[in-house]
Amino acid sequence: MNFLERTLSSFVNAMERALYAEELAQANGLLQRLDPRIKVVSMLALVIAVAMAHKLWVIGAVFAGAVLLAVSSCIPLASLARRAWIPVLLFTGIIALPAPFVVPGREVWRIPWLAWPITAQGLSSAGYLISRVETAATLSLLLILSTPWSHVLKALRVFRMPVVLVVILGMAYRYIFLLLASAHAMLESRRSRLVGKLEGPERRRLAAASVGVLISRTLEMSGDVYDAMLARGFRGEVRVLDDFRTTPLDWIMLAVLAALAAAAFYGGR
Amino acid sequence: MPDPVFEVSAVTFRYHQVTALENLSLTIPPGQRVALLGANGSGKSTLLRILDGLIFPDTGSVAFCGESLSEERLQDAGFARQFRRRVGLVFQNPDIQIFSPTVFDEVAFGPLQLQWPKEKVRAEVERMLEAMKIAHLKDRSPHHLSTGEKKRVTLASVLVLDPAVLLLDEPTAALDPKSASQMIDFLISLRGGAKTVVATTHDLDILEDVADYCFVIQAGRVVAQGAPAEVLRETSLLEQTNLVHAHRHLHPSGEIHSHPHLHSHKH
Amino acid sequence: MHIPDGYLSPVTCAVLYGASAPFWYVALRRVKKFLTTRLVPLMSVVAALTFVIMMFNLPLPGGTTGHAVGVALATILLGPWASILAVSIALLIQAVFFGDGGITTLGANCFNMAIVGSLVAYAVYRVGAGRAALTSPRRVAAAALAGYTAINAAAFCAAVEFGIQPWFFKDPSGAPLYAPYPLGIAIPAMMIGHLTFAGLAEFVLSAGVVAYFQRTNPSLLKLTAPGASPADQEMSPLAWESTWNAVRPLGAALALLLVLTPLGILAGGTAWGEWSARDFSSPQTRERIAAASQDQAPPVQPPRGLERLCSVWTAPFPQYAPAFVRRPAVGYTLSAMFGSGVIILVCLIGGWLASRGRREPSAGG
Repeated sequence: MNFLERTLSSFVNAMERALYAEELAQANGLLQRLDPRIKVVSMLALVIAVAMAHKLWVIGAVFAGAVLLAVSSCIPLASLARRAWIPVLLFTGIIALPAPFVVPGREVWRIPWLAWPITAQGLSSAGYLISRVETAATLSLLLILSTPWSHVLKALRVFRMPVVLVVILGMAYRYIFLLLASAHAMLESRRSRLVGKLEGPERRRLAAASVGVLISRTLEMSGDVYDAMLARGFRGEVRVLDDFRTTPLDWIMLAVLAALAAAAFYGGR
Repeated sequence: MPDPVFEVSAVTFRYHQVTALENLSLTIPPGQRVALLGANGSGKSTLLRILDGLIFPDTGSVAFCGESLSEERLQDAGFARQFRRRVGLVFQNPDIQIFSPTVFDEVAFGPLQLQWPKEKVRAEVERMLEAMKIAHLKDRSPHHLSTGEKKRVTLASVLVLDPAVLLLDEPTAALDPKSASQMIDFLISLRGGAKTVVATTHDLDILEDVADYCFVIQAGRVVAQGAPAEVLRETSLLEQTNLVHAHRHLHPSGEIHSHPHLHSHKH
Repeated sequence: MHIPDGYLSPVTCAVLYGASAPFWYVALRRVKKFLTTRLVPLMSVVAALTFVIMMFNLPLPGGTTGHAVGVALATILLGPWASILAVSIALLIQAVFFGDGGITTLGANCFNMAIVGSLVAYAVYRVGAGRAALTSPRRVAAAALAGYTAINAAAFCAAVEFGIQPWFFKDPSGAPLYAPYPLGIAIPAMMIGHLTFAGLAEFVLSAGVVAYFQRTNPSLLKLTAPGASPADQEMSPLAWESTWNAVRPLGAALALLLVLTPLGILAGGTAWGEWSARDFSSPQTRERIAAASQDQAPPVQPPRGLERLCSVWTAPFPQYAPAFVRRPAVGYTLSAMFGSGVIILVCLIGGWLASRGRREPSAGG
């Protein structure tokens, strides 16, 4: 069944991504050694700077900086390409494709056979869109591949994120993978029991029932999880342990990245 | 005579029109390793949760060290904190008990909720991870662990609080032989009265090694109790409660027959 | 429909974060009050569930497949506020960890899908289901409609957010800095995909899962069905076919109506009575008015009252043709969709408020 296959493969991709991120976060690269709070603040500043830039070369410069960070953090460029650059090109690239033809402005060329005019403004706007999306995607991917998720969450407290949200995000992350594994097992077993092709309504019924079973089991499970939390002393308030300590390297990198972000802000105005 | 750790009196508990426990009474003395024997659905897991103050009986009462264990009593922050520290429950399914993003966070959850100072939390967690031989897993997320490793994590997360009473729900269930044997070794090591252990199980093979006393539970009631050797001799009862089986097997003499039996070693 | 970074200007992003914040705040307070200590495990689990459901590839009529957000489902099972929180959390994890949706645009995505989606789904479901029994096929139809409307409302918001970018945010040479297409292109482009595939996926998911729960565990549907009449009988497995049959004509009718709206352009001229002050001075229009009014000639001067009131209200889309849309057919369809959507929403919200008002006095007594 087409939809079963596709669903199963998207589950597998998600689980594989988490495993890969965990591996890379243990590597001994530059980013991995930094305090997560520094990383979270700098990445955010850079993404905002890229979002605000009015000049293409500024965006390009930040992109180059990101690539440099990747290389010094044992993050293979091929991985970045596979997980960020190519998907963005396929998605945003296609969306941006009509822009040179549609956006009004100064004509720079005409397609020979079809006589469709291409405008300079159209080309620029496509350039802005694609470069911004690529750079932002690269920066957030760098953060995720170099930092364990639980550290990212705890670092978010720097932005005054309430503790209860940090705990919920951590648990949700944990349960996403549990659910993916159990949904995977359920769908695989259904797939193995299917003989021949199903008709449309039958397929929809199967999909709806699968989702329904998943929901029922999960809601039941949440009751058990609550009991498990109670048994360990949970009374509604939560506390987390964040033991981040900054080293001199952290401050140096913060200065470097802050300078890059500031330059991007001013250069891009 | 010291106070019994748990005194369960005429407890009845109903859940969704099913009576899980009916007029059940038992006493758990301190320092003993007690096994609750019963087939699946006999009510033993429910009893364990009642002992841990997670659910409360419809009728009857439960006392912990002489104090009543009721819903109102557990509302009191001081009593609750004491109780949660002194009694630890390890659930049968490790996945529902591991809800934090990493192993370290999981083991640290209990101490943090009990508001230990952060330095102490860190030190105790490290120590416990070493003791359970899972220190190399401390930054890993739970979904990549084997069942045996997950069980060790859940045990660690409960033991880190150094509870006086350990409640274990089917501790050897779903474990591969090596992990199961590690668990059994652990249960054997608890002999001697330092902790009170209440474990549910339907694995009679290990009973004599891991328990000092047992209760047999069927349909929500206690139908037999005694030292393991005594209980194991009541084969007809054990057959009634679905704890032994009687499938056909081959005798060394070459005969094939069936009778109630256990697969076990005798020294 | 997850908007990546770079499509919306920082100003737009900031505005949408600001718009979302009060909803998040209220949602957190309400859910905390309702769930108390169960808030943490339940919200975590439901956020995880929402995330996984978004990954499901759903089979659609016609042999295609699509993805649904499941916001109507979350709303029906948990109520709108919990749904706002759970879907926002799922979106955050998708954006940060999986790169699906941007970080600067997280506020926008939450506003469109979690907030607008949940609230629209709730309104449509409550009014559509009324007081029907938990196991009644009417609830399935209401769920389907709620899903369809919610996702299209979300898509419409996203389309507007895209479409205003080139208006406001251009570089000195006039090149758009963010999403480059104006409303006239953004709206049809977004809506076509969502009125069809995405909307259908949401339709199928919401209807299918609600029907499943009606068979297996109707109490799950209780939260958003206060005052539901008790079921007359157990729902038999065969009833699945009947609920699906109940829902299909609805979807077909909707689709047909939307597609046929441009036919209105073919009807030439102006409808009788819908004249503006200007029509009275143009000779061709005067002739047409006369022909349609049993050959009675219209007065030479427009009636004084008509003239005065004509200028009080200038419609945003005069003549059903938004100024920025060049082709009349497209403008017509857009207006039809927009107009019908507004009408439906107003009726639904009005009906919902009215039914609440009716219940309050009896509840207190």
